[in-house]
This record gives sequence, C-alpha cells and structure tokens, in this order.
Amino acid sequence: MENVQLTVSDFVALVNQTLEFAYPSVTIIGEVAEFRVSQGKWVTFKLKDGEAVVECFMTTYQLRIPIEDGMKVMITAAPKLNPKWGKFSLTVRSVKPIGEGSIKKGFELLKAKLEAEGLFAPERKRALPRVPSYIGVITSSESAAYADFCKIINERWGGLSIEVAHTQVQGEPAADQIIGALRYFNNKETLPEVLVIIRGGGSAEDLMSFNDEQLARAIASSRIPTLVGVGHEVDHTLADMVSDVRAATPTDAAKIVVPDKNELIRQARQQATSVGHQLVQAIDHQSQRVREQLDSAYRRIHERLDDAFEQLGVLRLAVSQLNPEAVLKRGYALVRGEASPGKTIEIETQTTYIEAEVTNVRAK
Amino acid sequence: MSEQSKKTAAQQPSVHEKMAILSELVSWFQGASFNIEGAVDKYKQAETLAEEIEKDLTKLKNDIKVVKQRFDGDA
Repeated sequence: MENVQLTVSDFVALVNQTLEFAYPSVTIIGEVAEFRVSQGKWVTFKLKDGEAVVECFMTTYQLRIPIEDGMKVMITAAPKLNPKWGKFSLTVRSVKPIGEGSIKKGFELLKAKLEAEGLFAPERKRALPRVPSYIGVITSSESAAYADFCKIINERWGGLSIEVAHTQVQGEPAADQIIGALRYFNNKETLPEVLVIIRGGGSAEDLMSFNDEQLARAIASSRIPTLVGVGHEVDHTLADMVSDVRAATPTDAAKIVVPDKNELIRQARQQATSVGHQLVQAIDHQSQRVREQLDSAYRRIHERLDDAFEQLGVLRLAVSQLNPEAVLKRGYALVRGEASPGKTIEIETQTTYIEAEVTNVRAK
Repeated sequence: MSEQSKKTAAQQPSVHEKMAILSELVSWFQGASFNIEGAVDKYKQAETLAEEIEKDLTKLKNDIKVVKQRFDGDA
C-alpha cells in the first residue's frame, strides 16, 4: 500500500472495511465516563480502563438500562472511523452493567425514572379475574419454573385453556423475545384474561432481562392484566414492579392466578352442610312454635274451663239459695190449701207437716 | 372440543355459576323469603349442587398448548 495513493475518503472506507472484516462485533468491558444524551436520541460516552479510553456512540433506543459515569459495563459494538469527523469510535449495539454495584445502580436509575412516570402507581394496577378460563404464559417451556407452575396449576384448577409462549428468560435476546410474546398475546383476536410471566431464581445478572426498560414499558402497556413471578421472594425486578400483580415466585404465580379447587370443594360442602343445619334449625324453630301454640291453646282452654266452673259455682249458689228447703231451714214454713174459715190447710216446716183449721182470714 | 360437546358445555352452568347458585341458596335460607315448605327442596338442590361442583372440579383437566411461533426479533 506504500505506493498507492488514496483519497482521504478512500482511506477511511478502507479502514472501515478492514475493521468490519476483522472485528464485525467486539465485546468490551470498561468504565463509563462523560456520558451524554443529545436531542433525546443520541448517546455518547467514553469507555475506559486504567490505561486506555475509547469513544462510544449509540441511540437511546438501544440503551435498555440507564447508565451513568463510573458504572462498569459490557458493550457489544462495531469499531468505526467516522468519515466526517475523523474520529475513531465504537458503534454500540448493546450495553449492560457488569458487577453487582453497576447492576444495582442501573436498576435504581431505571426504577427512579419509571417511578417518576407513575408506572408503579397502585391506581394503575388492575385486578386479575377470580377464575380465568384462558391464560397466556410467557416463559421458557424448558425451565423447572414452568414445570412447577404447570404442576401447581393442574393441582389447583381444571378446565383452563393455557397458551404458552416459549422465550428465553435470560441473556441478550430474552427481553426482546418476551416483548414479542407480549405483543403476540395482545394482538390476538380473543385475548387471554391474564398474562403470566415467570422465571425461576438466578443471579442478579441472570434476572437482568427483567430490568429492561422496553420490557418494563411493554408490560405496563399490556391490554391484558399481567402477573409476573420472577426469581425468589427476595428478588425484585422492574418487570414485577410494573405488572398488575407481583408473585414472589413462579409457584406463587400459579397459586395467585387460579383458586384452589380443593378449597372450593370444601367451601361447597360447607355451604351444603350449613344449609342442612339451617333446615334442621328451621324445623326445630317451627316445631317449637307449634308446641308454643299448642301450649297457648291448652292454657286458653283451661282458662275457659276455670271461668265456666266459676260461673257454675255462682249459679249453683244462686240455685241453692232459691231451693225451698233452704228457706225452711231458715225457720220459714210453707202453707198449702185454701185460706178460708173452716177449711183445713197444711203447714210444712223443716222437720214437720202440720194440718190446721182456718178460723179467721182478714185483709192485711 | 367438538361442536356437539361445545353445545352441551354451553348449556351447562360453569363451576363458577354453580358456586354462585349455591351461595344464592345459602342466602335464601338466611333471607326473608325463607319458608319451611320450600326449604327441603332448596336443601336437596344445594346438596346436589355441592356434589356436582366437587365432581366437575375433580374431573376437569387443563388444556396446555405451547405456541409454535418463535419470538426472535420483532414479533
């Protein structure tokens, strides 16, 4: 090439061609410095270590997790010499925080951003149907978490139509695949009544796909109510924060999404038994009322009889007082016969009958 | 599911509907319209419903299908 004369444009094109051939994609780990976003679209920063520094360029769309100066990141990029400015830079395709501190920092930055937009607000949360009949599930169908979910759901409820979208649940393509699955379910003619996104436990790095900004937004904007169960009880991801309902684990998600049929059977039995008790109580109550009415009728009859006996006593007394014998007992006498001089009359006392002759009759 | 069985399934109340009917029956026993003449029939109805719910819940199986579509890139 020593004797070949090139134009600047040709040289830059040649360099870029060589770079593209030799390094179509490079993965580099370094620390972010001089991070800038211009016009809300373009992102520039420097990636450095103790001895070197390189310029990086990307679009905001490609920046799935916020970064800031000082964070350790891993980028996937293509090296390029910019023909216009003559600057060597890396055109970054993806960037992700590396190490616990940076992952946490990225998570906190995005969490604050989404929170400020109200994406975690309780008033946004929709209730899940109590007993859904059609459920959409997004997960890796090869995972233990999925097997556990199916086991629990089959134990708890039946008659469900469950459609499972198999996606990766970690690694670079995971977030985009889950977004694709969300889109698939949300574009269906008949929507599932609930969308369940599950993944088993893992390291902070394994779960990082669930802290992806675009995935969080896709979950938040789902037309179908969402239930997200990622990792273990202690794991909190942005995906579960924006979801309508958070499940602590995939198993917990299965428990939340459907009721327990054994519990319902127990309830149904209990209700039928309670109805039986109420029926017995009602019969007892009715019998008690009938008994009380009979008692009352019996008491009334007694009262009437007592009244009648009392009246009878009075009448008996009256009758006894009218009895001529009673009058004779008091010393009076009955006189029978014609009261004319010379006639014989009969006089009856209590103890004797006296015959007497009338000697004189005069007016009183 | 065949058309015939779909029709039959559509005519049958779901487990959820049966639970609601059972709750209504329980409410009837506690409500003002309760009368001893109707109570025995309602009790029999409640008992039958509870048995049906148990049977339905025990026999129903879930239909799980994995979507064939792949979600690489823009779906």
